[in-house]
Amino acid sequence: MNASTTNFFEAIGAPVVDIARAWGSMFGCGLRTLRAIAMARIAWREVIHQSYLIGNRSVPFITVTLGFLGMISVYQVAMQIKQIIPDFTMLGPAFIQIMIREFAPTITGLMIATRVGSGIAAEIGSMTVTEQVDALRMCNADPIVYLIVPRAIACMVMVLMLSIYAVLVSTISGMLMANGAFDINMRTFLSLQLTNGDDIVIGAVKALAYGFSIPIIAGNAGLTTSGGSEGVGWATTRAVVSTSFAVVVLDFLISAAGYIFT
Amino acid sequence: MNGALKSLASSVGGAVLAIAETIGGAVTLLFRILRALFPPRYDAEGVWRSFYNVGVKSYPIVVMTALFVGAIMVIQTAFYVKKTGATGIIGYGVGFSVFAEIGPILIGLMFSGRVGANNTAELGTMVVTEQVDALRALAIDPLPYLVVPRFLAMLGMLTLLMVLGDLFAIVGAALTAQLLVGFHWRVLVADLLQSRLLDEFTMGLVKAACFGISISCISCYFGLAVRGGATGVGRAVNNSVVSNATAIFVIDFVVGYLYSL
Amino acid sequence: MIEFIDIHKRFGSNVVLDGVSITVDTGQVLYIIGASGAGKSVLVKHLIGLLRPDSGRIILDGEDITWLDEEGFYPIRRKCAMVFQNSTLFDSMTLLENVMLPLRKHHKMGRKEAAKAARAKLELVNMDRDADQYPAAIGDGLRKRVAIARALTLDPQFVIFDEPTTGLDPMAAATVDDLIRSLRSDAGVTCVVVSHDLRSIFTVADRIAMIYKGKIRLDGTPEQFRNSDDGVIHQFVNGLPEGPMSV
Repeated sequence: MNASTTNFFEAIGAPVVDIARAWGSMFGCGLRTLRAIAMARIAWREVIHQSYLIGNRSVPFITVTLGFLGMISVYQVAMQIKQIIPDFTMLGPAFIQIMIREFAPTITGLMIATRVGSGIAAEIGSMTVTEQVDALRMCNADPIVYLIVPRAIACMVMVLMLSIYAVLVSTISGMLMANGAFDINMRTFLSLQLTNGDDIVIGAVKALAYGFSIPIIAGNAGLTTSGGSEGVGWATTRAVVSTSFAVVVLDFLISAAGYIFT
Repeated sequence: MNGALKSLASSVGGAVLAIAETIGGAVTLLFRILRALFPPRYDAEGVWRSFYNVGVKSYPIVVMTALFVGAIMVIQTAFYVKKTGATGIIGYGVGFSVFAEIGPILIGLMFSGRVGANNTAELGTMVVTEQVDALRALAIDPLPYLVVPRFLAMLGMLTLLMVLGDLFAIVGAALTAQLLVGFHWRVLVADLLQSRLLDEFTMGLVKAACFGISISCISCYFGLAVRGGATGVGRAVNNSVVSNATAIFVIDFVVGYLYSL
Repeated sequence: MIEFIDIHKRFGSNVVLDGVSITVDTGQVLYIIGASGAGKSVLVKHLIGLLRPDSGRIILDGEDITWLDEEGFYPIRRKCAMVFQNSTLFDSMTLLENVMLPLRKHHKMGRKEAAKAARAKLELVNMDRDADQYPAAIGDGLRKRVAIARALTLDPQFVIFDEPTTGLDPMAAATVDDLIRSLRSDAGVTCVVVSHDLRSIFTVADRIAMIYKGKIRLDGTPEQFRNSDDGVIHQFVNGLPEGPMSV
């Protein structure tokens, strides 16, 4: 094998090895988090504090983004319906159904990936480069137990809660739009006739899966920060992209599983 | 009671002020950029470098996201079809939701996460390491040198990537339709192409261009306003992505509404 | 000639400069000394408009530049260069590109022409062999030399050095000292050096000004500093841990 083919294989192989290593460290982090939860090594006080930071502090953000999403979705779909058959009876039920099973959890997940994912990576990343994480290890305190586990539990619960809130916000804003711009009766709009148990289960599973994966991925990006103070910025960036993409991939996997099994 | 009310009022007031400051800062930056564009005084070589950087950084994530968006929308439409039996709407439903709404939003969010966050981190690092002051000390204005090329690159690249994203979303949709839903991919693509979605397609591009403008202005604003070392950069990236996400949903609404008038 | 007249500057409630006046004559090497955080860097950044005073005036060659706007400062910055404390090379560019940047921007040179001129500047500081390296790949001392080369590309009449030898090993520090000395003697450049490196101060300075508690404590020759019976100056010049300055 001559030098240029070696280079070629190196060039192809290096990113593969990098990706494999990154996935390995991410799954390792996830497994250790699960084990710590199973062994009940949980700092509940910290869980409550993190729940406040992750959940309550995200409410304005979720209200604005999901509110606008609800309005524009109803508006655009209603404009389409108006051109074909001006019968709006199914608009509300279909909107509520797809919000519950798809958009409320997924958009909430993306927003939390953006806001909380970058926040966790920045916070843990700063702790890593200033050697506070090493100081934790020196005190025999596992950084996973102290830093990641409380965030993972808090984030799982809070993404579920925020998703429920997101359904409410988008439904109300969509209903107001339907009523204001297309004169659709609010009672006609507010109907669960197309929604069934499957939709609610799929939506809830998505929310829990996003909630668990976001702090794991972001925390792992923070813990693997290197390159001094500049590294924190890069770790934060990486966390935003990886967590957002993880949400999209999980959405696909859970939707596909949901389609096959229901 | 009085104290609680006061603290509520002050926290709401503080939030309103912070939002006003961000919008003010980003809009001021936009005007300064436009003034540097007419007549053009910016770094032409830097513009090409920025186009290259932005494109190389973001196309993989845009392509991957688009594939999944197409796939997810096929599954969602297929659910509906399963319930109602209206197979005729699959192509139309996928095309409409991807081109007009979900495609631009998701690709915009990913672009903001990849390029916007990266840009804030990059400029923020330049600020805290005094590289921006060093530029000024060399009598080089940071605006045409650093900001304008990024603005043009994000505006141009995100618009182009939206075309690419729409294409890959169709690929993702066709694959999923064939492999998972059991709906022939040719029928789906043919339906989609016959659905007269040109308006939705162009609306998606207009949205992308607006997102490009907002992402570049907001991310540059937060990057250049960084104070306080490494923690400051991390915080700026966080603020930048949150503001960008909010701006994306607001702009999505405004463009969608104006387009139908 | 540079004149700082009664400069006041505060950050929040922290008064950094409380009425500082210094005059730097053309062709002189002036060292501004003082403890860390005394406001040395703050003072020199006023000269090229990176900071603005709360009150006071700055006069450069007879022109009052205190209230020029950002655009107005560009001509000033072309004749008055600054070497930053951390070198602040642009880390997305090679060393050569760093030095080429001001040439391409201000002299409208083409790529080849600018590269040739930049290489000549790098030769002055013995850095031409590493021209295609990136800043992250070389040591602090070498980065400082490139930063000096970059500051000299526009042939400035005044150069500000912000702690040019801090953090360098003794050999690298001596190289920088030599560069400053030859700048003055060969090109007649006026240098303002912010430093607390005692060895450099007494080997290079023509004149020294010490900032203490926001004011000039003493402005004089190295001889005057060595022989001063002021407790603060005595403590600083001899690097004593105990004395009136201990915080």
